[in-house]
This record gives sequence, structure tokens and C-alpha cells, in this order.
Amino acid sequence: MENQKFNYDNKIVKLFILATLVWGVVGVLVGILAAAQLAFPVFNFGLEFTTFGRVRPLHTNAIIFAFVGNAIFAGVYYSMQKLLKTRMFSDTLSKIHFWGWQLIIVLAAVTLLAGFTTSKEYAELEWPIDILITIIWVVFGWNMIGTIVVRRVQHIYAAIWWYLATFLGVAMLHVVNSFELPISLFKSYSIYAGAQDAVVQWWYGHNAVAFFLTTPFLGLMYYYLPKAANRPIYSYKLSIIHFWSLIFLYMWAGPHHLLYQALPNWAQALGTTFSIMLIAPSWGGMINGLLTLRGAWDRVRDSAALKFMVVAVTAYGMSTFEGPMMSLKSVNQITHFTDWTIAHVHIGGMGWNGGLVFGMLYWLVPKLFKSKLFSEKLANTHFWLSTLAILIYAIPLYWAAVTQWLMWRNYTDEGFLQYPNFLETVTQLIPMYMARIVAGILFLVGFLIMVYNLAKTMAAGSFVNDEAAEAPALVLAGARNPMKETVHRWMERRGVRFSILVFIALAIGGAVEIIPMIFIKSNVPTIDSVKPYTPLELEGRDLYVKEGCYVCHSQMVRPFRWETDRYGEYSKIGEFVYDYPFQWGSKRTGPDLARAGVVGGPMYKNAAWHYNHFMDPQKMNEQSIMPNYAWLSVKNTDLTKTPKKIRAMQTLGVPYPEGYDEQAVEDYLTQAEGIVADLKASGIETDAKKQIVALIAYMHKLGRDIAEQPEVAQVEMHAESFTEEATQKEVKLLEGAEDLAAGEKIFKTTCVVCHGADGKGIGTFPNLVDDEWLHGNSPEQVFKDISEGNVAKGMIPYKTQFSEKQITQLTSYVLITLQNKENEDRK
Amino acid sequence: MSDKDKQILDQDENLMDHDYDGILELDNPPPRWIMMLFYITIGWSIIYGAYYFWLKEGNLQDEEYAQKSEQHDEKYQIATISSDELVAFTDEASLAEGKQIYTELACMACHGMNGEGNAIGPNLTDDYTLHGCDFQSAFHTIKEGVPAKGMTAYKTQMSEEKIQKVASYIMSLRGTNPANAKDPQGEKCE
Repeated sequence: MENQKFNYDNKIVKLFILATLVWGVVGVLVGILAAAQLAFPVFNFGLEFTTFGRVRPLHTNAIIFAFVGNAIFAGVYYSMQKLLKTRMFSDTLSKIHFWGWQLIIVLAAVTLLAGFTTSKEYAELEWPIDILITIIWVVFGWNMIGTIVVRRVQHIYAAIWWYLATFLGVAMLHVVNSFELPISLFKSYSIYAGAQDAVVQWWYGHNAVAFFLTTPFLGLMYYYLPKAANRPIYSYKLSIIHFWSLIFLYMWAGPHHLLYQALPNWAQALGTTFSIMLIAPSWGGMINGLLTLRGAWDRVRDSAALKFMVVAVTAYGMSTFEGPMMSLKSVNQITHFTDWTIAHVHIGGMGWNGGLVFGMLYWLVPKLFKSKLFSEKLANTHFWLSTLAILIYAIPLYWAAVTQWLMWRNYTDEGFLQYPNFLETVTQLIPMYMARIVAGILFLVGFLIMVYNLAKTMAAGSFVNDEAAEAPALVLAGARNPMKETVHRWMERRGVRFSILVFIALAIGGAVEIIPMIFIKSNVPTIDSVKPYTPLELEGRDLYVKEGCYVCHSQMVRPFRWETDRYGEYSKIGEFVYDYPFQWGSKRTGPDLARAGVVGGPMYKNAAWHYNHFMDPQKMNEQSIMPNYAWLSVKNTDLTKTPKKIRAMQTLGVPYPEGYDEQAVEDYLTQAEGIVADLKASGIETDAKKQIVALIAYMHKLGRDIAEQPEVAQVEMHAESFTEEATQKEVKLLEGAEDLAAGEKIFKTTCVVCHGADGKGIGTFPNLVDDEWLHGNSPEQVFKDISEGNVAKGMIPYKTQFSEKQITQLTSYVLITLQNKENEDRK
Repeated sequence: MSDKDKQILDQDENLMDHDYDGILELDNPPPRWIMMLFYITIGWSIIYGAYYFWLKEGNLQDEEYAQKSEQHDEKYQIATISSDELVAFTDEASLAEGKQIYTELACMACHGMNGEGNAIGPNLTDDYTLHGCDFQSAFHTIKEGVPAKGMTAYKTQMSEEKIQKVASYIMSLRGTNPANAKDPQGEKCE
């Protein structure tokens, strides 16, 4: 058959390689900054744009999507063309893909530092960027599938199976996890709440690791490892088995990020068991890689590229054994929320992803530039620096994790937590955090040596944008001959059918876990006392998200005695039904905040404490590593967005009364005035619109709703609307025994704290039964006092908590029952 | 092609007719042990599921907590004081220690330096109390707190022995008539 002539597009590969090098340096530098901030808080620079809460998500995004992402595309664009003996389907799509991806990276860097974030890990970017990612990802997939269609090779090689799974998996994960309701260009709310949001997010988060950091790299391994070693793949059968088992099983394992948390037991068990079942499929990749090197180990000694690949595959094997072990509940209680997870992901990131990228580049760049690597010696230096960096990074952090876990759970002989102050357990880790900085610097030095080495190699070589090649046209084979061809072999030449099967294998795990969480009510048992956020608390929550507080503070007390003694009651699923998005966190660099609003609980701090702590944490605890948030006391919140936020919440299903958006700003200010007055009593001057006031209100909401009430459960939020006229119209006292009893119930649960059981007032709070009334004792006036409150004096406006009827009942109880009692006593 | 020939030469294994950009594949079966490992993990997972959800042998999260918490309370039982022993200390040393605890835990923030009370907490030196007159009541109030009114429950922060001491100190303040005493609140004690 006659050969067709065509050109490989090498230019797109070169562009992606250059981007890999640039973003790699940036990503590692940002990582070193984040590491420095945890050892020395001064590196937060006192600026809102450079606090750890914003820098850490930038680091993870830069490494995963910028450095690793560009490296994947470089490797895929080169190997796809060679494996399919064709140029990429469309040069235009290639270019859109490249420049679109770089635009996303720049937008991500700017918006994350500016505080525009959804707070969902590795999916922090706001909705306009999410849409852009979707478009660019589809461009990538379109280009890839188009290339498969125009191929000149009968069968699709294993590497490309992995690329296909990557494209389909990430598309599915990204779209499902990014459903959000925008309220402005840079602010949206996840459409999932609480435990549901958690299940979706960690289905995504875990599989971002799978389909961005694992499957594409297995694909790259299947091309670059046998190429560099010049050896055949050890076992074709193993390729098939571990491909299908891995992509199917991975999608189920997400809940292992939520063990011992507020998630149904069945979902947790799926997370554990599917993680354990993943050991063999993951190791299948490692084994096929290492056995491919059989008889070529002498080449490994001489080639830095192969050395890096061997370390990469070994690190992959270690991580994929460690991961399932961390998914056992008993191990997870040590590794979760501590630095263990951080060490684990860096074995994967620096070892597996970094190693394979470095190995690939040391092989690919000389190939593309038709020259030899400038210096094998420098590459070896890079190899040893990099390997050393991994060890210096991981070992101290494993140590830190175990140390801190032991300190968290240690009891004195008397039965009290030995380290009740969380900070003590952090201070202990600072030397380990310092070692991590050293590791980061070593890794960066090695990286820069590679950049220099590759630049020299490029300069010495000659590069052609379009590399000439020829191959015979593809004549598609016909129907399957059962005698000669296995079903799988047949599928390998049917690209579309193959893709559909991959899609089905991917979709099952997520569907089985997510659909029941959303549609079966018993999975999210509700708690009646849990009320929606007030407008002020909601604003505070948005600030909590914006400042990245979740990066260091969890809101998830696990059912261990050593956690409930330290924080308070363990977290329940029903607590989080209004949490769009959930804020459980995944790392405790600071203490858990789920019970920060439980008055009388071990985590409660008053408003003045919070104010001073936000302003300067080190002033209150010299050894604290929390950044200061002084700008919170200067910057105002944007109240024009408040009604919109309330409406968005209503759309998502939060039961605010109809038309509450119009009332929201007023309620916001009233509640804020209460906090301002509280702060003023402690000598702190601020005003109701300051961000710090909203954040304090949110702190005081956390856990409050399920805290034990002194007598009966709190009265539910009124369902009917509270009309404007209500405060002016005539109030008729309700004299029926039933109404008075209802009024008494409210009085005894709510008012008694300040006014006393007999209404005579405690301390400086006013007596309600004497003849002296501060604001008059007409039913209308008393009704108004209760509903509108008098925040300056500490009287809370109760109209957001009680209905008109309830307030009328309360008014009646005060003016009739209490007054009668007093009159009798006087006689 | 010479490279490929060389590969075939030093490889007397079953080479397949697959060739992708020069990458060949061997028809080796997967190592036995990795397949065994796979089956074992599948078996383990089935047993795990059955243990918790079918046989219902394993404790689910809430039960596990309740059980462990009970064990915890048993283990540290020594720390509780029987009601017979729950009497006020009167010796100098215990009262001095009680006073020290009063300062360490910042009781004065709400009850004043000398127990005279302030805008937040009640006067501890007069004959009136909000939560009972006897020593047991004072002990109980400190231990369990009065969360609704802002009184912290100290049972998670110190042992009963320490609570006993600080309660003794507070009882000893009664009738001391400090300056700036807050007006009486609650019931009068006989």
C-alpha cells in the first residue's frame, strides 16, 4: 500500500513544555511561600492577598492544573500523534486549547489571590472560569477524539485508553461538582448543601487525583517508559485488567475523605472498601512499568530520564498502598486533619507526577530538538536533589502528624485532656515545618537546574515545527472474527464504542453514591432546631469562605471522646442542611470551629475576644501562627447584595419567609448593632457594616442551633411573614389560657435569662412588673419593644425568631400573668 | 528495525504482533500474586460490608462512640468525688489553692476580684444566691455551668477536686462585704 505523507505538529508540544517549566517554577515557589507562612506567620505580609488561606489554594491549583496540566498536554500531544500516525485533528483546536488553558491559569491566579473562591478543594475557581474550563476541556477532547478518528493505525494503544478515561472522567467530575448558583460575576453558591455537597465535592476531589494526577500519568508511563527503556510492555493482559478495574473502582472511593464525619455509615463503608480494592489495580500499573524494565536496568543506571521514571513508579506504588491504608477508619483517625495527608500527597505530587514529568522531559526535549541532553551529570544532580527533597519533606511531616494526634488524644491521669490548648499541639510542630521549607528549596533548586539543562539542550539543537512522516492509510478491518480476535482487541479498533464503555464504567460509582444522598431523605435526617443563617451570619459565612478560613479550620467534630471533650458534641448530618457550600475542611492547622458558637461550650469566645484575635492573633497568643486580618475592621460589607443572596438561598431551598429579602438589610443592621454595642461595652469602637462584625456573628452561629437548651427546645422560626404594619397596628392581648401558656413557654426559655423567672430583672436588666416602664407599658409598646428590641441596651429584636402571634402571646403573658402574680405578692 | 530485532533476540518470550510507534507488547499473564491480592481485597470488602450491615456485628459510628465513651468514663472514674466527701474545705492551704484557681480561670472577669460581682456575674459574697445556698449547689454550678447566662461549665477544664477547692474558696467569701458589691439577686439563704 502506498504511504501517505503528513507532518507531526511539534510546535504545540514545545509550547506546552515551555508552559510546564514556567508554571512549575511558579507553583513550587508559591508552595515554599505557603510552607514559610506556617513556620513564620510574618510571611503572610499582613496583606489580604497573601494570607495562607489564599496562597495555599493557589499552590495546589498551580501545581495540579498549571504545572501538571501543561505537562500532561505536552506528553499527550506528542505521543498521540506518534501512536496514531497522524497530525493532531485540528491545529486551531490545539491553539485554542493551549492559549485557553494559559488564560485559565492567569485568571485563576488573580481571582484566588483576590479572594474569589467557591472553597471546594481543587475546584475553588468561580463560575465564569468554570465555564471557560468546560469549554477548553471540550476543545481538548474534541481534538483528541478527532485525532483518533483520522488515525492511520488499526488499534488504539493502551496509553490512549488512559487519555480517553482522563478526558471523560474530568469532564464528568468538573461539570457535576461545579453546579452553582451565581449571584454576581465573582460569587456563587454551590447548589448542594452540607453532607450532599461533601459527597459531591469529595467524589470530585478524590477523582481529580485519579483522573488528573493518575490516569493521564499511567498513559504517559505506557508511552515514555518503554520508549526510554526500549523494551516491550511486560503484559498486555495486565494492561487491560488494571485499566478497567482502576477506572471503575476509583469513582467509588471518594467518601474515604469523610470517614468518622457527618455522613451515612453505608457511604463511608463504600469509601473504605473500594479504596482497599484499588490496591491491586493501582499496583498493576506499577508492576507493568517495573517489569517492562526487566533486562534494562543497566540503562536505568546511565539515564537520568529512566531513573526519574523508576522513582516515579515506585512513589506511585507507595502512595497507592498508603492511600487505601489511610481509608481504614482506624488509620484515618490519625491521618485525617493532620499533616499525614499533606506528606502523602507530596509523595504522589513530587515523586510520581514530578518524577514522571522530569523523566519525560529529559527524554523528549533532546528528541524534539534533535540533539543530546546538554548534561547528563546535571540531570543526575537534579535527580538526587529531588529524591532527597521528597524524603526531607515527607518524613518530618509524618512525624508531625503522629505527634499532634497523640497530643490531641492524650489524657491526664485525672481524666482531662493533657493539652486542652490546641496551640500547644501546633507549636510542637514548628521544627518539622521548618524542615519542609528546606525540602521545598531543594526541590526548587533541582527544578531550576533542569530548566537550565533543557534550555542549553534546546539552544544546541535544531527544532522543526512540522516534522515530516509517512504511513499507509488506514483500511478499517471489518467484523470481528471470534476465532482470531478477542472482544477487547476488537474494541481497541472501535474508538467510539470504547469511549462509551469507559464513560459507563466511570459513571456508576458516582451515581450510586450521589443520587441516594440527594433523593433519599433518610440519608440526611433533619434537626428541627437548626435554623437558616440570618443575613448578617450569611455575610459572615461568605467572608469565611473568601478568606479561606476552611484551609486551616475544620467544622467537623468527629465522634471521638478526645474531640468531644475538646470541642463539644460531635457533628450531625442534619446540622448542615443550609450550608451552601459545606465548610467541613480537611486539615486542622487551627482548632475545629464547629462549636465556636455554643455559649458555655469549650470553644466559645465572646465578641471582644474575636475582634482582638482577628486584629492581631499573636498579641493574644504569642506562638499563634494565624495571619492577622486587620482589614476586616476597615472594610465594609456590600449590603446591596444582601437581598440577592437571600433570594439565591430561597431558590436553593432555604426556608426564609416569602419576601424576606426586603427585610434582610434591616435585620442585618439590627443584629450587627447588637454586636457593635457588645463590643462597645468592652471599649471597642466599630460600626455595623464592618466585615469583622459579620464574621463575629457567623462565629457565634456555629453549633448554636443544636446546643443543649436549658429547658425546652427553641421555638421554630416563624413561617408566616412579618408584615410592616404589624409594628404599628393595635395589639389585642390574648387572654386565653392556651395563649398565656404559650407566652410563658417562650418567656421561660428566652426572656428569663435577663428578666428573671418572675420578671423582676437580673442585674441591670429592667424589672417588668414594677410601675416604672422604660418605654411605656401599652400592649403596642411592649409588642414593639420585643419585636424591634433595643440593641444598644442588649435587648435583641425578636421578630426574626418569633411570629407576630408568638410575640402577642408573650406580650400578654408579661402584661397579664406576670403582673397579676406581682399584684398578689404585694398584697 | 535493528533495535526491535535486538529486543526480540534477548527476549525469548511470547511477543505479540502489536507495534505502536515501535512499542511492542508481550503476552505474559499478570503475575499470580497480584491477581490473588485483587481477589483477597474483594473478599475482604464483602466481609467488611457483611460484618457491619448484614450480620450487624460491627458497631456503627454512633454506637461506637457511645461504647468508647462509656469505657472512657469507667477508666477515669477515680476522678469523681462521692457525695459524702463533697464538703467545703476550711483549711488554709485548700482555700489558698482555691483562690489561686479563682485567679487562673479568670473568675474575676465576671464575679470581681473579691467576689463582689459586676455587670456580668452575680455577687458571691452576700446571702443571696441564684442557684442554691449549700456547698453542693456551688460545686454543681461551677461544674456544670449555667450556659444560658454565660457561666462556663468547668467540668471539662479541671478535676472535681479542684472544683471542690474553688467552691470552698467561694463559700468562704460569704459575708465579707467587699467594696462595690452588686445588689443581691435570687433567693435569700438562711
